[in-house]
Amino acid sequence: MNIETTGTDPYGCEAYKELFRTIMSDIGKGILIDEARIMLRPEVPLFVFSVMLKAEPDNKRISDAASLRREGDDVFITISDERYAPDILSQLWRKYTRANVDQQTRFDIVIKDADMDEVADIEISSGEETKKEILGAVWRSMPEGIRVRFNQTDGRVLTIMATEEIVLPEMKEEARIIHAEMLARSRGEADV
Amino acid sequence: MFEVLMYDGGVYRSDELYELIEDVGGTVIQRTRSSQMLTVTMSVPGEDRPMVEKLCRELGGEVREVPLAGTEIAVVGPTLGRHHMPHPICDIAEQLRQYGAISVVMGLARGRGKATSQISLEEIRIIEEYDVAIMMMGNFKSCIESKTHIFEKIETPVILVTGPMPEGVDDLCEAVIPGIGRKAERMRTVPERAKLTEVADMVMKVLENKRRLLEEDPLFVHPAELKQLLEEYEPIDMSLRPAPVVLHMDGLRVKIPYAENKDYLDNLEVYGRRLSEVARITPSKISDSSTIIRIMTDSEVRDRDMQQKEG
Repeated sequence: MNIETTGTDPYGCEAYKELFRTIMSDIGKGILIDEARIMLRPEVPLFVFSVMLKAEPDNKRISDAASLRREGDDVFITISDERYAPDILSQLWRKYTRANVDQQTRFDIVIKDADMDEVADIEISSGEETKKEILGAVWRSMPEGIRVRFNQTDGRVLTIMATEEIVLPEMKEEARIIHAEMLARSRGEADV
Repeated sequence: MFEVLMYDGGVYRSDELYELIEDVGGTVIQRTRSSQMLTVTMSVPGEDRPMVEKLCRELGGEVREVPLAGTEIAVVGPTLGRHHMPHPICDIAEQLRQYGAISVVMGLARGRGKATSQISLEEIRIIEEYDVAIMMMGNFKSCIESKTHIFEKIETPVILVTGPMPEGVDDLCEAVIPGIGRKAERMRTVPERAKLTEVADMVMKVLENKRRLLEEDPLFVHPAELKQLLEEYEPIDMSLRPAPVVLHMDGLRVKIPYAENKDYLDNLEVYGRRLSEVARITPSKISDSSTIIRIMTDSEVRDRDMQQKEG
């Protein structure tokens, strides 16, 4: 994750770079972030956090994170992406009940009397949910008292501007400029 | 000369330790039991220290000096939100416990923000019940400098712990320790551990000033002596709270309600005087279930006596 901080307080810039990295890793979203640009102006106060994700979060199904095979009436699942293991298991429990879902090892699950296509199609993670979680993590990294926020989301770029009291048009404009720059950078990389 | 030590070990045969402390004329300041583990902070005469240490080793425990024993310290954050808790506030509180202090963590109701932060009079009064207050601030210099109103009116010595070094706050607090600020993970690296030690050392230094003042004009009765008297009182003896009596440098926090025990506390005899004549007894501002006793100094007691005679 590449983090760039700009601002008027050198100590704060360095500290917030580390804080952002730690918080993102803590909640397991660091892996999804390609680049982050953080602007800190505590004297205003005005904070802009712009995050570029590695890919636009989309809905994930079981077939995206595991391989499936049928043996008789049972469906065998082998999880290939460990991150989704808890989600897969909880969705299977919800749909087929615990009695019909047998977790043999950490990554191997057997479902009794199930249709393979139906199992493959179960949604385990929604893109919208991922975006919400990243947004929550960014809010968490921002200073606590800075609660008046303005969010922008386009493709794989999320930009959050925050201040303490009244949002002025020029503050929004600054956030829009940073957002546009990040967006252009994300598109530029996509073209390459 | 009494010395304060901390025993850290198991509960097995701990009765022998209590008996020895009593036999040598010492006192147990704090006793914390967690499952089979026991921590005892005690005050024993210097000449009997080797004997106590020998017994502690026989019991399989460790003994160490605790310079902050007999003090209660508040570590105050802007709020108790996840932005400030548990690190670094709890790291500092835990470090102070290692030095023998009773430390509590608290957050202000509206301490966050630059222009909107505030502290209420009630919060100030609560913080003033402690021997020292450690105020935690964040990573922005301009923000810290504009939030001095949060701690400048607190009469208890305040140690400001910040990220960058603020300017113009020297007269508003006892000491400033920069280099910590807001953190999202435990302070476990070597430089961070050194910072925690620096905080504890600064607390010792600040308390040393207070101790020196008390040596010049000593308290009418030492808080530890008063603690021994109070422990014989049934509601305190039967109290299930972990530390029913907490020592302060100039008094005690007794965890029984003042309203219900007013008669006993006011009339407790201390060196031929009623406790209410030699101490200020008030309900705690935190909750009515505790009482704060501030013991007067010898000169204060004399002054009061003279005033009453003249009056």
